[in-house]
Amino acid sequence: MKETWYEKLQPWIIPFILLISWQLVSTLGIISENLFPSPLSVITSGWQLTASGEIVEHLVASLGRAGVGMLIGGIIGFTFGILNGLSNKSYRFTDTTIQMIRNVPHLALLPLVIVWFGIGETGKVFLVVIGVLFPIYVNTFHGIRNVDPKLVEMGKMYNLKGWKLFKNILLPGALPSIFVGVRYALGVMWLTLIIAETIPTQVGIGYLATNAREFMQTDIIILSIVIYALLGKLADLIARIGEKKLLTWNESYK
Amino acid sequence: MSGEISGNSDNVKQLTHQAVQIDVEQGSKSFGEKQVLKDINLSIEKGQFVAIIGQSGSGKSTFLRLAAGLDELTKGKLLYNQTSLDQSTINVTMMYQDSRLLPWKSVIDNVNLGLETKGEKRAEQVLDAVGLLEHKDKWPAQLSGGQQQRVALARALIHEPSLLLLDEPLSALDAFTRLEMQNLIEEIWSKLGFTTLLVTHDVREAIRLADRIILIEDGSVAMDLEIDHPRPRQLSDTKLVVLEEQILNRIMNGEVDESLKEKLSI
Repeated sequence: MKETWYEKLQPWIIPFILLISWQLVSTLGIISENLFPSPLSVITSGWQLTASGEIVEHLVASLGRAGVGMLIGGIIGFTFGILNGLSNKSYRFTDTTIQMIRNVPHLALLPLVIVWFGIGETGKVFLVVIGVLFPIYVNTFHGIRNVDPKLVEMGKMYNLKGWKLFKNILLPGALPSIFVGVRYALGVMWLTLIIAETIPTQVGIGYLATNAREFMQTDIIILSIVIYALLGKLADLIARIGEKKLLTWNESYK
Repeated sequence: MSGEISGNSDNVKQLTHQAVQIDVEQGSKSFGEKQVLKDINLSIEKGQFVAIIGQSGSGKSTFLRLAAGLDELTKGKLLYNQTSLDQSTINVTMMYQDSRLLPWKSVIDNVNLGLETKGEKRAEQVLDAVGLLEHKDKWPAQLSGGQQQRVALARALIHEPSLLLLDEPLSALDAFTRLEMQNLIEEIWSKLGFTTLLVTHDVREAIRLADRIILIEDGSVAMDLEIDHPRPRQLSDTKLVVLEEQILNRIMNGEVDESLKEKLSI
């Protein structure tokens, strides 16, 4: 059934009311504009930063760190998830170690990372890698392990072995679970990036926020937070589109 | 509806290899301590349609898995065409109680599964034979249970089986659909002549389809009956009704009715 225009509008009513109240609270001077700038002034400073091109530079830097970290961590997590899902030998050999490292809150590594890698890019990317690796590992592993053994038996009956069995049955069967891992990892990725960008740097959304704090530019701080939120939403949206495209066969993704 | 029921089985004529003969010599199978099949001696002729009946846990499904090469006898021999021990020398395909279609592949890709050379045309012919050509691009989830089993049958047929194994493939279907499927299987079997082993709980189904009914009880062959009745069979036929009664009695009471064969003269 198609949603009517009113039903489409419904989820946005409360955010809209909140935004209006925020604007009113600021313009009526109930809360100091210096502590809690109005939405309009946030938008204005956002526009200024965009016009000067400054924001693009910061965005590119942050996206680069997030992307590279996600890619490396994703590949490592996926590879070990597949290996341990398929092979009990590999599972016995590596899983305990991976689980031990997984239980260290990776953000607590921050001081150590600074000592190890200094304040350059490597430390920031490293933190993201550690953050996204585990959700992807765990979900890939369980995805492979939970593929219906009846389908695997059927595949063997029909001459599917090795790579063919993997490509036709195991991987597609694990895919819904892998996507859950990817979406969860995307959340961890942004969170890690925010923390990682508190390591002194000259560029990035985190720098924008830290720098603004020095000069009490609350509008820029809020702008940075909004940008993080938008990026997070955008990443999730992209993952969901991918999910929908690849999982059209699955009723729950219609 | 009737348009899609019958299908066009003329299309499947070429889809068979030489039917296979199966001989089991003193075959036993144990899982750990538990002996599931005991000292089985059977010879199944080329092209024969054999129904294997028995209660749950009697070992009938195990027998099917052995014939499929999914398991091996603990003792004794299972020979294909009197010489070969190796299941891979013949084409075996199997239908299960659930269709086991891959939900992430379209109907036609499911039919083509595991083929070395993907023949879109051949897959279409086989789908036509089971009456589902118009559904070829759908997902399995969009089909009814009966249609899914038809796809599973098409998938089994495209491999040109010399042995078709049916593990209660119709037991989850409603009565009407089951009857349709029985007709379809019988029709295709008569055309192609592959050897068929059907495991079923349903005595009527066994009588309706099989040349021979084997009752397995506690891992042994308790009864081995040839049914030489013209096809297509009407289950209301007095002879078949009496036969069904006798077999059911035999299963329920465990009594050997010596006069059975005389009474029925079969």
